[in-house]
Amino acid sequence: MPDELAIWAYCVARAGDPLPERLPGVAAEQPVSTIEHGGLAALVSRVPLAEFGEQPLRRNLNEFEWLERVARRHETVLEHALEQATIVPLRLCTIFGDEQGARRMLEQQRESLSAALDALAGHAEWAVKLLVDPAELEAAAGEPEAAGEPAPGGSGAAYMLRRRDERRAREAADRLAAELADDVHAQLRDWASDAMLNPPQNRELSGHEGDMLLNGAYLVETAKVAQLHELVAELQERHRRLGARLELSGPLPPYNFVPRPA
Amino acid sequence: MEGSHLPSRPAGGLPGRPDSQANLADILERVLDKGIVIAGDIQINLLDIELLTIKLRLLVASVERAREMGINWWEGDPSLQSAENGGNELERENRELRERLERLEQRLGLEQGEESSRAR
Repeated sequence: MPDELAIWAYCVARAGDPLPERLPGVAAEQPVSTIEHGGLAALVSRVPLAEFGEQPLRRNLNEFEWLERVARRHETVLEHALEQATIVPLRLCTIFGDEQGARRMLEQQRESLSAALDALAGHAEWAVKLLVDPAELEAAAGEPEAAGEPAPGGSGAAYMLRRRDERRAREAADRLAAELADDVHAQLRDWASDAMLNPPQNRELSGHEGDMLLNGAYLVETAKVAQLHELVAELQERHRRLGARLELSGPLPPYNFVPRPA
Repeated sequence: MEGSHLPSRPAGGLPGRPDSQANLADILERVLDKGIVIAGDIQINLLDIELLTIKLRLLVASVERAREMGINWWEGDPSLQSAENGGNELERENRELRERLERLEQRLGLEQGEESSRAR
């Protein structure tokens, strides 16, 4: 029983398209391979049920180190596949009992998978993050309105005034931040084939400096990638005064642009 | 990627690299609730409350700050919403159970009342 294996699926591509071989999968010593059916191919690897069966999986998913290791391996396989073929990424933990189960999936989902592959052909997903230094943004938001005005009365009143000015400066900076994020996203969204916004990320995990104002995913035609770099550079230049930094990464597995569950 | 003036970070995937070097927030954000969802033979609901709590803590720690700035686009995301509303969900469930209990008690009380009236 402990040695029993199930099948972990990474992504689906057109049968015959080149896909990685001999790449390590999510479970140690189990390389990826391909299962073809009805014109589609699933990129899979074997996983032991002792670790990936329903009960152990539930437990393991809540173990942060396990989750990180498996997520990174899953992602690595997708990144390799992406270099060679148009792929539809599957969500983490798409697991079948045997090859027959994976074939059945390809059969049952043929229409939607095929439609997704058609839509994604010739496109790639890119991520754009907008980061600002809050102090710089506040400075750019303008001088506090009452600055320089001599404070009437004692130091208590001066303190209250200073507090009020600080609050106003912060509010102005917040308004500016929202406008900035709106502008950057609107420009990219109008230009890209598709766009998706995600919540700003946790600094602890992403390691970013400053405040993340925008975390967007954009579907871009492969032929227009050079233009994307130019557009992002231009947007960064436009908002340089506000200390805006735009971080572009890609091409990424098109996670954000596959049909979403209803 | 050539000629870019930006702090652009390639997505990794270089041959010989054991694991993806992309930042963990990026990876988890994508693999946990994006990607096509197909029911496998092993059924796992990634939106399990336990996991979602972690996910929320990890991915959206800056929610409050973002809201202050008027940024709230993820609020349309049902998976994130359900977690945020986890407390309300529990409250609702609690209320429903209490109501059900009350109805049962009433019915029981009624039956007992009928019985006792019949007995009289």
